Amino acid sequence: MTTAALPGVERFAALFEGERRGLPGGGLTWLDSARKAACEAFRAQGLPTIKTEGWRFTSAEALLKPEFVLAERPRTRGGFGRRALCPIVFHRIVVQNGKVQPDGDGSVYSNLPAGVSVKSLAEVLSEDPESLQKPLLQAFDKNGLPFAALAEAMFGGGIVVRIARHARLDKPLAILFDSGDSESGTPQMVHLRVLILLEEGATAEIVEESVGSGETRFWTNLLTQVVLGEGASLKHYRLLREGERGVQTSSTFVEAGRSARYESHVFNFGGEFSRSDLRVRLAQDGAECALSGLSLLRGREIVDHHTVVEHACVGSTTRQLYKAVIDGKARFVFDGLADVRPGAQKTDAWVYNKNLLLSEDSAVRTNPEFKILADDVSCKHGGTIGQLSSEALFYLRSRGVGADEARRMLVYAFGSEMIERVGLMPLREALAASLQARMPEASEGGL
Amino acid sequence: MLTIKDLHAKVGDKAILKGLSLTVKPGEVHAIMGPNGSGKSTLSYVLAGRDGYEITGGAAEFEGQDLLAMEPEVRAREGVFLAFQYPVEIPGVSNKYFLKAAYNAGRKHRGEPEMDAGAFLKFVKEKAKFVEMDPAFLNRSVNEGFSGGEKKRNEILQLAVLEPRLAILDETDSGLDIDALKIVAGGINKMRDSRRSFILVTHYQRLLDYVVPDFIHVLSGGRIVKSGGKELAFQLEKEGYAWLEPGRPGP
Repeated sequence: MTTAALPGVERFAALFEGERRGLPGGGLTWLDSARKAACEAFRAQGLPTIKTEGWRFTSAEALLKPEFVLAERPRTRGGFGRRALCPIVFHRIVVQNGKVQPDGDGSVYSNLPAGVSVKSLAEVLSEDPESLQKPLLQAFDKNGLPFAALAEAMFGGGIVVRIARHARLDKPLAILFDSGDSESGTPQMVHLRVLILLEEGATAEIVEESVGSGETRFWTNLLTQVVLGEGASLKHYRLLREGERGVQTSSTFVEAGRSARYESHVFNFGGEFSRSDLRVRLAQDGAECALSGLSLLRGREIVDHHTVVEHACVGSTTRQLYKAVIDGKARFVFDGLADVRPGAQKTDAWVYNKNLLLSEDSAVRTNPEFKILADDVSCKHGGTIGQLSSEALFYLRSRGVGADEARRMLVYAFGSEMIERVGLMPLREALAASLQARMPEASEGGL
Repeated sequence: MLTIKDLHAKVGDKAILKGLSLTVKPGEVHAIMGPNGSGKSTLSYVLAGRDGYEITGGAAEFEGQDLLAMEPEVRAREGVFLAFQYPVEIPGVSNKYFLKAAYNAGRKHRGEPEMDAGAFLKFVKEKAKFVEMDPAFLNRSVNEGFSGGEKKRNEILQLAVLEPRLAILDETDSGLDIDALKIVAGGINKMRDSRRSFILVTHYQRLLDYVVPDFIHVLSGGRIVKSGGKELAFQLEKEGYAWLEPGRPGP
């Protein structure tokens, strides 16, 4: 059946109806009904337009034309290690065009310590589906996140990472989403789910890296759930290095238990459009999160970054700092909310966003905010938009540093603060090199 | 070395330099003194090539070349150095990295090979000793969180590293206590030789007690109104700048 004639949201619904029996876990009653309910939630919300709350700057409806089809097998295979920034010494699981590559075929993840399991979601759904019933059915607020609902309905695969009580991942795990050209050249899409489940006292460092390698338009729609037990600690990195035709929508839900710590670092180093929604719930006393990121945008790239941290317990802490460098005709949106619930006393929350505009045609919209329903809290927030300091530029030039080099030094200095927060040394070095390589070109001669 | 002829410059609609002429020969130290608003800082910035100043007349030649036609970085690589009255803080750029980039830009310009990081570190540590600066400052961001004295000392460190042929020091003594002033002046004196020239721009005569100039010029209303030897400084110290105002008798 062809779906091309249908309006946006119905096209997806029809596609879901046609595909659903063949999706992973198809035939499991509990999963089938959850997928159906999610599809209804997606239909009820529709494709966001600029009139949709929280989507005022990007029309997803326009972005997702023409029609995307479910991703095909890539034309070329392999080469994963070369495309990724993640050092090859990490554990690595590769998802190419939505398909999890088996161990030894680009992926290297079988040699894991006791208590750590990394598996393809489809594999677990065929071998031991009941073990995923609880996390996959865990309710989350999809309001305003139609693509989270779409991923919940349509997911064609994904990854499950489980770390048992007090176990630790001995070295970082890299999950590489690699998108390549298809034979047909038709825009491709994948819908994936990632589950990261850390039991009490478990620790891990996980890097999700998206790399686009093709000419074909490619849309990756990710739904990630993180559950941290008491005292568990996760350092979660996300690197976006999509091709100029790469689109990513990601929804990440984090539930942090007592004294658990969630740390997130997001680096946007390329892609046509990235919309990310990160929702952290500090559910039990003493939970904390530190969220940071750096976006370096040029051309007509768009990053639309939204965070919500819900402080639902006593004594929880948030530190948020996102920076963006915007060149060319690129656009950056930051919406960061700290939502302090009634009774969440002793909450300590910071939400900051700092932006550097490099061209007249670039644009930024920043909105760090609080909703505070407790009275004994310490909250700070701020958003800044600036340009390169002409004084600093002249100072550097007056010492012999060329104008272009001086601009690059100042941009690098602005961004490097975020890279220095990365504790993983080999990754930090790779990020620093990547930042250098993406230094502004369009601004030369400008300003 | 430097020949300025009948230089006119304005900022916006306001004329600041109104026919300034000055000749500096190799090895000479010239002090330019004058009241606030006389055009001292403008002269410094115009010579270093800062944006925002419009040259409306006259010329400035450095070693026979048209200085005013060069980009600021080319002036620096050719050997012109400006020590800033208010050195700029640059968070995120380490002092060491900045100095190396500046030093190697000059070497490249002269067709010399660039110095690698290891050799440069050794070189710059020697220079830090020369201006009595703790090498820990090399790892800090340029001027960030430095005290007034530390910033000025950092300017002299850059002077020592870049070894310019002409150094213009804009109010280098301002904001310094006596100990810092002695260190800064000591650094300048150690840099003096028969080929390097200095222009000391200063409101007060205090710096000139420690760095003794060959010539002193008084700048007023955008022109040099009086020139003399070092004794002129004492006269200015005693009588101030009030005699420059119209209708007052000169010294």
